[in-house]
Amino acid sequence: MNYCSRWLWALMLAVLAAPALQAKEELVTLPKRDTVQLTIYNSVDLTLVQETRTLSFKKGNNRLQFSWAQTLIDPTSVEFRALTQGDKLEVLDTSYPAESNEMLIWTISAEADVSARVEISYFTSGLTWSAQYVGMLAADEASMTLTAYVSVTNRSGEEYENAQVRLVVGSINLVEKINQLAGGERERYKRDAEGEMRRATRESAGKKDIVKEGLSEYYIYTVGGTETIPHGWSKRLESFVQAGVPVSTVYTYDARKYGAGLTKLLTFKNNVEHKLGKEPLPEGTVRLYRTMGGNALSYVGEVATPYIAKNDEIKVNAGADAEVTMKLTRLGLEKKDLAFRRWGGRAEDQSLEGWTTVEDFKLEVKNFRNKDVRFEINLVFGGDFDFDSSAEASKVDFQTRRFAQELKAGSSTQIAFKLTTRNGTNVKNR
Amino acid sequence: MKLRLFAAALPTALACAIIGLSSPTPAEARIKLATLPDREAVAVRFDHPNQVLVEEERTIALQAGVNNIDFSWAGTNIDKGSIVFRPAAADSKVEILSTSYPPGENALTWAVSSPDARSEKFRISYLMGNIQRETSYQAMVSKDETTCSFKHYFKIRNWSGESFAEADFITRDGKKFEKALSQGEAKRVLVNKWDNVKIKKEYVYDLTRQYEGKVLTDYVLVNSKDIGLGQIPLEFGKVRIYQDDGKGTAAFTGEDWGRFTPIGDEMRLNIGTAQDIKVEFKKMVNDVTNRRGNVYDTDELDQYEIKNFKDSEVILTLVLRVDGEWEMMKDASGFESFERMDNETVKFRVKCPPKGAPVLLKFHYQRKDVW
Repeated sequence: MNYCSRWLWALMLAVLAAPALQAKEELVTLPKRDTVQLTIYNSVDLTLVQETRTLSFKKGNNRLQFSWAQTLIDPTSVEFRALTQGDKLEVLDTSYPAESNEMLIWTISAEADVSARVEISYFTSGLTWSAQYVGMLAADEASMTLTAYVSVTNRSGEEYENAQVRLVVGSINLVEKINQLAGGERERYKRDAEGEMRRATRESAGKKDIVKEGLSEYYIYTVGGTETIPHGWSKRLESFVQAGVPVSTVYTYDARKYGAGLTKLLTFKNNVEHKLGKEPLPEGTVRLYRTMGGNALSYVGEVATPYIAKNDEIKVNAGADAEVTMKLTRLGLEKKDLAFRRWGGRAEDQSLEGWTTVEDFKLEVKNFRNKDVRFEINLVFGGDFDFDSSAEASKVDFQTRRFAQELKAGSSTQIAFKLTTRNGTNVKNR
Repeated sequence: MKLRLFAAALPTALACAIIGLSSPTPAEARIKLATLPDREAVAVRFDHPNQVLVEEERTIALQAGVNNIDFSWAGTNIDKGSIVFRPAAADSKVEILSTSYPPGENALTWAVSSPDARSEKFRISYLMGNIQRETSYQAMVSKDETTCSFKHYFKIRNWSGESFAEADFITRDGKKFEKALSQGEAKRVLVNKWDNVKIKKEYVYDLTRQYEGKVLTDYVLVNSKDIGLGQIPLEFGKVRIYQDDGKGTAAFTGEDWGRFTPIGDEMRLNIGTAQDIKVEFKKMVNDVTNRRGNVYDTDELDQYEIKNFKDSEVILTLVLRVDGEWEMMKDASGFESFERMDNETVKFRVKCPPKGAPVLLKFHYQRKDVW
């Protein structure tokens, strides 16, 4: 008997020829799973389970009962398919007994006594996977060894023993949630599955390979060998390790994203130049540590990153570094081009309707560190403005200008810029 | 045959590693044999401004093949996602195969593959919450208020749930001190001491720092080698200031928060109010000019009468604010120097004669295009 079927769900083949629905006693066999493959999606709570079993059919009509008590299987998704002897087997009907919401019975017609491999597939919820990344930065923070992991968590209510696991990277569309179709979350009992975890681990002698392949808009990661993940457990496996990934550090000011002050961002790209780019990186948490002398670590920072396409960029926020500072000072303000609406000849018979302000700013960036740094300062201005600066500034969008420069160790720089803002009737194209 | 050693053997040590030596057991088994490798070295690092990283080393006896190592941390605040487990030797032949997380427990199991039976040293690193840190300083100022001895203290309070029998605590600037620190215990350690640090004393009337018209007394020290500092950035922390009274004893003269001061930057510490210097403000002129409908200019004269009742002359710094577009008039008077710090802020230095002789700062300015 299949180990798990004793407590969760079962496939039973009635050896009595149909019709026998009214019979009070039945003799059944419990064919075990030969293989099981899990295809787990991370964008929605969905797993496609495809299992194969070898069944013996008698000539005539055979009844095959499939039940899934205490699991999160979508009853509308259960499919039967003969992998061998398909020309001799035919599903005549599928019935859902009134007394059970967690069972179906196929009536299968066989042309002769045959033994066939069949596939039963269905959707379940409760199996999820996620990605984690750990970057070990060199002491100079210029490169790192990046290790990617995938974690599979099983809260499906079922134990899939020795399953081949495939993980889908991508975003699919579902019109209904699987766990709603399954009847919602059910109360489940706990098991001590530790022994099974240990046994499963011992059976796998070496590190697993995870093969990545593209499929339409998705990527499929196939974990080498098979895995057993008992209900309630998570398992983390190494997906890849890449040494020597170049990392650049940019001290960034962008008040809308990172708040006041400069934020230290460690940046790398998922591309060939960065020794990555073989496949997209699924969404997950990136944690960075810096290696110190003697294999000691120092925590740098972490970020929850969305899906990183090939050639896209990852920025890890390492927080503020008080040794690189910026100060923006408004040195001068002048109002000019005052325009009045007049309704009489007296001085008081007028009202201001347009004006232009000219503001002089000083931006000072200081690097108190003993190494060269790069900064990127994004300044956002409102209204109809002209911008003129002593240093080169790039236009990020219609209201954002960016200063990006290198700054030597222990040095500072000052950038002057003039902001001319037209208001009221002075606004162009109003 | 073990016995759930985990609970029995570890009444207070809350994070531990157990290596399972049992053969495969069925799911129902509640019995397992485990060894409990001791921690050999523990480092608690404070180099991140908000996080505390704990690193520990343990030597674990491995069998050839796949070994399971359990790590659990009931009652402590370890960030599960931050745990990094690796052989201490860079060229180790041992491989970490997978990490498994049981349901509802602060625990995990590493599957580790070893080519042979061996003892391997592992390093485990993780972020731990509820270890508080605090930097503080003590300045002992000389009687003539030109130098001080400057002591830098680091205080740790351990609410993590874990006790450290022997650990290296490492500050942001790499200072290491070895201490035992029990759960709930706090320790304060002198990590740096600098003597003959030069300080400057300043009297400041600053409307950006206070509105009551008081004169503040500040000490200013620059974190540079020129004055005896400049070795490390000074962390944010409270500075308690004492002064040598010349009789072998010291008096507490005030305290202030010292902001994070990188090398080369200055730390300004307010020790209190200078009661012997009085500043009286009067607005002498406040006229509207050049009115155009709802728009006008102003002509304003702000007068500050300063009296220094001390026996010696002092320099008073006045930091004043005027909003909008304005310019100072040429007949402004009564100051040694001035600096327009930004559009709204101007700083005057006024020489104040001793014994209460008044001096007048006349700040004459015009605002333009007010509405």
